[in-house]
Amino acid sequence: MTMPATPTLSPSAVPVRQRPSPAMLVNGIIVVLLGLYLVWSGMAAGNYTLRVLSIAGIYALLAIGYQFIFGHAGALALSQGTFMGVGAYASGILAVNYGVPFDLALPISVGLPVLLALIVAAPVLRLETHYFALATLIISQVVLLIAIEWISFTGGANGIGGVPPIRIFSVTIPPGWPLLATVWGFVALGALLAWQIARGRLGQAWACVRTAPSAAAAIGLDASRLRLTAFLLSAAYAGFAGSLYVHALRVISPDVLSFPIIVSCLTIVVVGSRLRPVGALLGALLIILLPEWFRDLRDYYLLAYGCILLLVVVIAPAGLLGTLELLAGQLLPASPSPAPSPRPLEPLAVRGAAVKTSEAAAAPVLDVSRLCCSFGGVRAVDDVSLRVMAGEALGLIGPNGSGKTTLVNLVSGFYVPDSGRIALCGENITGRSSYRIARAGVARTFQTVALVEDMTALDNVSIARDVNRIGLGAALRVGLRDPVQTRAREEAAFLLEQMGAADAMMRPAGSLPYGVRRRVEIARALAVQPTLMLLDEPAAGLNETEQSDLAQRLRALLKQGTALLVIEHNMSFLAPLVDRMACLDAGRLIAEGTPQHVKSDARVLEAYLGTASELVPA
Amino acid sequence: MLALQLLFNAIALGAAYALVALGFVLILNATSAVNFAQGDLVMVGGFGALAFGSLLGLPGIVLLVPLLVVMIGIGFLLAFVAYFPVRKRPPDTVFITTIAAGIIMSNGANAIFGPEPRATPSLVSSGDWQIGGLVVSYQSAAVIIVAAALIVGLHLLFTRTQIGRRLRATAQDRDVAASIGIPVNLMVAATFAVGAALAGAAGLLLSRNFFVSPTDGANYMLKAYIAVTLGGWGSIPGAVIGALIIAAFEVAFPALPALIPALAPYAEAFTQVWSTVVLYVLILLILWQRPQGLFGEAVRARP
Repeated sequence: MTMPATPTLSPSAVPVRQRPSPAMLVNGIIVVLLGLYLVWSGMAAGNYTLRVLSIAGIYALLAIGYQFIFGHAGALALSQGTFMGVGAYASGILAVNYGVPFDLALPISVGLPVLLALIVAAPVLRLETHYFALATLIISQVVLLIAIEWISFTGGANGIGGVPPIRIFSVTIPPGWPLLATVWGFVALGALLAWQIARGRLGQAWACVRTAPSAAAAIGLDASRLRLTAFLLSAAYAGFAGSLYVHALRVISPDVLSFPIIVSCLTIVVVGSRLRPVGALLGALLIILLPEWFRDLRDYYLLAYGCILLLVVVIAPAGLLGTLELLAGQLLPASPSPAPSPRPLEPLAVRGAAVKTSEAAAAPVLDVSRLCCSFGGVRAVDDVSLRVMAGEALGLIGPNGSGKTTLVNLVSGFYVPDSGRIALCGENITGRSSYRIARAGVARTFQTVALVEDMTALDNVSIARDVNRIGLGAALRVGLRDPVQTRAREEAAFLLEQMGAADAMMRPAGSLPYGVRRRVEIARALAVQPTLMLLDEPAAGLNETEQSDLAQRLRALLKQGTALLVIEHNMSFLAPLVDRMACLDAGRLIAEGTPQHVKSDARVLEAYLGTASELVPA
Repeated sequence: MLALQLLFNAIALGAAYALVALGFVLILNATSAVNFAQGDLVMVGGFGALAFGSLLGLPGIVLLVPLLVVMIGIGFLLAFVAYFPVRKRPPDTVFITTIAAGIIMSNGANAIFGPEPRATPSLVSSGDWQIGGLVVSYQSAAVIIVAAALIVGLHLLFTRTQIGRRLRATAQDRDVAASIGIPVNLMVAATFAVGAALAGAAGLLLSRNFFVSPTDGANYMLKAYIAVTLGGWGSIPGAVIGALIIAAFEVAFPALPALIPALAPYAEAFTQVWSTVVLYVLILLILWQRPQGLFGEAVRARP
């Protein structure tokens, strides 16, 4: 394969200065307005307002942290206030009892909530939404009760007073505008870091796990590890916010651990934005200032809180910022970023050790033996054995409900077999989790296309490259592009071009026509550089031109030595493509051999038609 | 005799908890979402009983009738405010709208009644029977009778009436229910009404002995949530059993030093607060060991 030598046609070759996208424009304008408002307040407002604005900044940090677990990882955690409280207590007690200033206490006031998150993560993070919410709520209640009961250490319900103001590098920050500037300085740093993380590969990986979890596993994304990263980041931000909080309020009390804190945090994120740090700033200022504006309502102002949360969830599910972004997207012309120049994938050095190659070459790529899987009383896959060699295509046919997709789900680790063995290039992979099987070189597509709808086609593919190199490191290089991401995008551009989807590259996957989406999905599977590819009805919904186009591209893959297992009902597509065919019926393998042989097998005909007659090619 | 007394107390408490948990699980089954306002509905029931009591000056058991009527109305309102506008969104959206509804209720109660704990009128009258060494207060006996009557009534509603069958069909499979002509939206709204009525009744039953204050909701919600987790997510009999288990634990824990002499030196540790902490930690351990809940869930997700 050679690099396509048409640089003049590639948009990226033309040095056009890119316009900011409408969404970025909205974010930028809001940042500028908020900045001006804060500067004006810092100069003009009274001490009370400055204090309220400082508190709002602290909530903004808390909420930016909450966006990681609630927004990006999509888990309704109700423990964010607890992490903040633990940070606050740590910093407060260190300052009052041991005279440790704010800055020196930070490793502990941030580290302790992170440690707590790490400890509870193991039992809690794998739970389904409803149990996760319960478990995090219970944890927060337990910590609150301990803070109230452990009077000798925490001061009990009264808390501890006399917390000194923030001190950084031996400089004491007085209340008023210096406190405001310090807090919002930290907010700016925190928001910048969060923004870098969100737009990088980590943010994209979260989007994938959140909106297309099966696809995420199929390209080798480790969902639990990604969730853990989000959870720990949330806790770290919360701990930092808590530490600022206790030094700004100058007292510590169990209130910081109570349910209203998490409710405020949730409201800020829902009202502002679940994903964008700028939304958290906007939300925090609105939600914290609102009670001040409605002060005349006295007891009823808290009612407004609930009403606003409810209204925003119902009317503006994307939050205020998201709604503004949508509006701007409608009003302003879209300006897609330039497509990267395609770069061919380097052939895999040897997957695994070189020693294995001699035996691996001889072993079949896929060796399934005596596989069984039941659901309740139904034997979905019943004693199935089959092999696929390198560069070989095996077609899998059978009537609806005969166990074809279940077999693919078993091989790719989505289901665990009741008995039997699955080997990949001679290595036993039975019972491994799906993401690890994907990393071992098994790629798959889905019967219904699974893409991240609001991510570009390019990034849907690029995220599948180098999945073990997704981390926080890139986010720290503020202002710079992640070299791994740049390279992954170039390679993704190459793959999409290979699949004939180059024109669609920079458009959101959700806006693409069905046939193109199928091809994007196959490009994504190719990005794994699989030794075995499992295709579940790849031709479904494609017209005849698209079908023959797809068949041609799959043949090219076979030439490179990839093994293919293709589920398909469409015989005119399947028969010329595959070397062998296998037919399942009621979970059992009833025929295997050349397409001609299988198509005329009496039992196959009976399975499909009930009687023995010529199988009509579709 | 102590054990018998504890058992009686546990049943009296568990019967009231069971009503809350039943409402929670009914709404859960109808909407596949957690109603975070379930506890606040208990609190509203408590304050409702208080208001009717001072208005009418009648014993609690009579107040139950107007209270249930009002709670049914509140349940419908809750469905229209917090469920129907977001019913096509992911279920965790309902978590958030019901949290919001809960905030509105608790702050509304705070604005109207103030933050102090208040006691509702007793169900019949104060006093008790002494049977052997067993003390059976009229209040506790009435709580058990009222709760049992409501649970039996609910059972009859669900099994013997046409509307009950429709409610069950809606909870089991909305699409199929809709396809055979059941007005599913009305049925879901009715489920909210039943859930709110049960919670309101529990508020009346609990707020005599335990008082009612605007911030009580979270506590009751957690108990219902835990009861349903213990009893099997979505199981109706399980919710009742879970509620009884929680009540038994809460009643037995402070009495443990009296029951087991070896624990007597540590009697100070067996407070109500630590009973809650121990219960919560136990639930966490259960979820850790059995992420699908104690009795599992029926559905297996398809990739």
